[in-house]
Amino acid sequence: MKFKKIAILFKSLLVISVLAIFPVVVNALSLDVVAKVAVTSFEAVIKAIPDKVTFDGAKEGWAIKGLDGKDRIIISKDFSSKNPDISLELDAAPFIKAGLDVAKLPVAKYIYDGAAGKITLPFTYGQAKFGAAAQKSALETFKQIVKNHRDLIGYHEILDHYGIALGDGNMFEWAKDLRTNDKDIVFVLNPEPFINAGVDPGKITEWVFAKVDIKDKDGKPIKVDKFLKPFNVK
Amino acid sequence: MKLDVFKINGMTCAACAKTVERVTGKLAGVTQSSVNFATEKLHITYDEAKLTVADIKKAVSKAGYEALEEVNAKEVSIPIQGMTCAACAKTIERVVGKLNGIESVVVNFATEKANIKYNPTAVRLSEIKQAIAKAGYKALEIQNETRVDEDKRRKEKEIRILWAKFIVAALFAAPLLYIAMAPMIWWLRWPTPAWLNPMQYPLIYALVQIGLVIPVVIAGYRFYTVGFKAILRRSPNMDSLIAMGTAAAIGYSLYSTYRIFNTDFKYVNDLYFETAGVILTLILLGKSLEAVSKGRTSEAIKKLMGLAPKTAIVIHVDQEIEIPIEEVEVGDIIVVKPGEKIPVDGEVVEGLTSVDESMLTGESIPVEKKAGDKVYGASLNKNGSIRFKATKVGSETALSQIIKLVEQAQGSKAPIAQMADIVSGYFVPVVFGIAILAALAWYISGQSVVFSLTIFIAVLVIACPCALGLATPTAIMVGTGKGAEYGVLFKGGEALETTHKVKTIVFDKTGTITEGRPEVTDIITTDLVGRNKLFQLAASAEKGSEHPLGEAIVRGADQEGLALIKPDTFNALPGRGIEAEIEGKSLLLGNDKLMAEKQIEITNLGDQSDRLALEGKTPMYIAIDNKLAGIIAVADVIKESSAKAIRRLHEMGIEVAMITGDNRRTAQAIAKQVGIDRVLAEVLPQDKANEVKKLQAEGKKVAMVGDGINDAPALAQADIGIAIGSGTDVAMESADIVLMRSDLMDVPTAIQLSKRTIRNIKQNLFWAFGYNVAGIPIAAGLLYAFGGPLLSPIFAAAAMSLSSVSVLTNALRLKGFKPYK
Repeated sequence: MKFKKIAILFKSLLVISVLAIFPVVVNALSLDVVAKVAVTSFEAVIKAIPDKVTFDGAKEGWAIKGLDGKDRIIISKDFSSKNPDISLELDAAPFIKAGLDVAKLPVAKYIYDGAAGKITLPFTYGQAKFGAAAQKSALETFKQIVKNHRDLIGYHEILDHYGIALGDGNMFEWAKDLRTNDKDIVFVLNPEPFINAGVDPGKITEWVFAKVDIKDKDGKPIKVDKFLKPFNVK
Repeated sequence: MKLDVFKINGMTCAACAKTVERVTGKLAGVTQSSVNFATEKLHITYDEAKLTVADIKKAVSKAGYEALEEVNAKEVSIPIQGMTCAACAKTIERVVGKLNGIESVVVNFATEKANIKYNPTAVRLSEIKQAIAKAGYKALEIQNETRVDEDKRRKEKEIRILWAKFIVAALFAAPLLYIAMAPMIWWLRWPTPAWLNPMQYPLIYALVQIGLVIPVVIAGYRFYTVGFKAILRRSPNMDSLIAMGTAAAIGYSLYSTYRIFNTDFKYVNDLYFETAGVILTLILLGKSLEAVSKGRTSEAIKKLMGLAPKTAIVIHVDQEIEIPIEEVEVGDIIVVKPGEKIPVDGEVVEGLTSVDESMLTGESIPVEKKAGDKVYGASLNKNGSIRFKATKVGSETALSQIIKLVEQAQGSKAPIAQMADIVSGYFVPVVFGIAILAALAWYISGQSVVFSLTIFIAVLVIACPCALGLATPTAIMVGTGKGAEYGVLFKGGEALETTHKVKTIVFDKTGTITEGRPEVTDIITTDLVGRNKLFQLAASAEKGSEHPLGEAIVRGADQEGLALIKPDTFNALPGRGIEAEIEGKSLLLGNDKLMAEKQIEITNLGDQSDRLALEGKTPMYIAIDNKLAGIIAVADVIKESSAKAIRRLHEMGIEVAMITGDNRRTAQAIAKQVGIDRVLAEVLPQDKANEVKKLQAEGKKVAMVGDGINDAPALAQADIGIAIGSGTDVAMESADIVLMRSDLMDVPTAIQLSKRTIRNIKQNLFWAFGYNVAGIPIAAGLLYAFGGPLLSPIFAAAAMSLSSVSVLTNALRLKGFKPYK
């Protein structure tokens, strides 16, 4: 009886150890193909639009602009710095034209710069310190995100997209394969705060108001409203 | 010609049994080959000159199975005297080991014992002891002997292994199913580690599933080794279906994993490892339950085998010594004390007791036993101490005969089983065809590869014919076993099946409807001789007769103290009477036919004869020197159960006839008392079979009930011959059913049991066929084509496993059979 209990305890410990060690093994063996391909596809995207990828010294991050040059995503070269880890900088004009009352946007999450005509959505994820290599290029910085914040990276099966889940339903997506996709870069916004702040989705321009199939945190397939701004880089 | 029985290992369905039948049936010199899937036994009749056991084993092995000879090995521990060193032990091992039939011999010098495992059919214990003695040592009395039931051990081991395999499979299939289903049944919110999110970590998700499915596949590897081998032999079986179905699921999933590895992440939705894993687990569960249930179907035999005591107390040089039952020899005087079981068959030589023979005859009332009475092994001595002389030991005892009979019946096939066998033979290839066609049809109609694959797997998995193979033999095993419990021994599946179709039952009168111990009731004389002289002459003439009526006259004269005279000549005239010469006088004793034949005038006693006959008595004329001397009437007592049994048979819609050599009036009088519909009187023994034939010519299935000796031809002629008797002295050869007791109520019991068993078989076949007939189109997507649901292969596997278990459970319901009282 005693032997049996010891055996059960030993087996339980073995299972727990295997479960604990598994992510390490996964990492070491590069079994995380989504992460791997996320990096390669991101590299392909930024290589396709070299003039749209720049380093923003003021914000100490790599900025990727949409092809129209109006909106951009800025990824901090070091998440341990005082700047937001990632921020979305949007042209406010289409929203204001559609009825946006900027004062009604949630404070802190939506920062309106009237002078520049921009709305910035800052996102913070932690204090991960990126090495010097991360500062060399947007790709290296992205690699650090994959390494330190793997949970932000996802694969969107329906559109065959990779993306960074920025938070609050906002995303930045890019095509896994530029050759086969006509939406190579997509800025994705949660329309709800905008609509609450007066935006009439029917009147929005430059952005597409659409229903998108996604899975919620429980894995439940749902349709959600999004503002989308896709670009074909080819 | 030789009949051998082999245990066949490795069969998983009726198609396997068919394959073994086919390969062995093709061997030169084989006249008959029959495999019972439920008992896993091959009964093969062959010419020893043309074929050896090794040839049979080789053929079976080539077909992918294993044939083992039916050997009940015995293990014995013999104390040895005279060993002085380890070399002595070696010597004994060597000499004993050289004997034919010795499986193993280990002599322990320290304990001075030789532990020997041997085949009792090849070598006798006495031969072993002789060999030891020849080597210069003394084999002492055996202290204990254990009968090793290899088959039982093998079965138990098989069940243990199956359960172990199932547990291993379940341990891995459960988490496999969990992680595979969790994303699909999101509403249950099953927690899963982030690294098992299929959309985030698809390759890990796939690899973990592979890791979990591997142990399940290992647990079920037999399905693949046997199944694919069978496909290569072009005789696919149930394993082939499972192997193909799960291999397709695993193969496609491996392809999907490869695609995931190549960054085609959509293929994460095309993983079917859990389908294969759960199918294998469910089939292993089904097989485990099946093995347990199969074991229960043969409980009747085990129960019978367990009835015999292990030891006997014999008188040896005026002393009581306890020896193993196997050591008892014919002629030994055995002592049985109250409450003890009688070890072997014998004849009481001393003492008075009552014996409970219910375990053999089903009769619950104890039977009084005194000196001269027969006792049977395994019966229970109730209240007196007796000594009896062993007359039958070992395989000759009544119990052994019953066991043999029941074993034979359980191993035989009923005609209804042939249909299932034929269907099973074609079933698997047809299912393969259907699976391929259905998958292709859906693919051509525009469905995806995955959808078509699902159809293919579901059809293969749901269509396993094991329920079909089990439907008949399991019911027959339980039915015949139950019959044995009530003292009704069916000699085969065919007898069990045909009995329920019986429309007319012909009973022999004397000893069947009546007790068979008639007594003299009336003696009427003419002026020729006096009563006592007539009685003395008649009894003297009948002294050599074995006819019950003749015996009654002898017994009657004996009771009156009349001295019998040895006849000079004696001649039995079947169906008419006897003729004899006593003290120089010719004497005729018999019925009116005999008198007419010998031209003896009987009219002056005709009225008396008619009167006696109308009273149900049998009048026998006696003529001395061709002159009528008188009539001796004999009457038999009707058995208590006769009228009740016939009433019950009428309730069952069966016509009851009585056949007798007796005169018509007597026969009709008896018939009236018990409610017989039809009387066939004045029938000579040799004509009884013809009378049965005439009834059969009316298009009826006829059963004949007789004592099994005089009625042998009629028993053989009838569609069902029922021998009624004690089970030891019945002519088992000519009957299809043997009733252990003399109670006629066992006749309706036999029919009732046959009806119940056949109904059970039909239910089993209905479910097995119905399940496949309904299951295959559903699995092929028929409902889906009309907007209904698509059958998941997992549910197909569950349903398939349940079908076998449900058939077995239904067969086991027969265990609750209770005869009409």
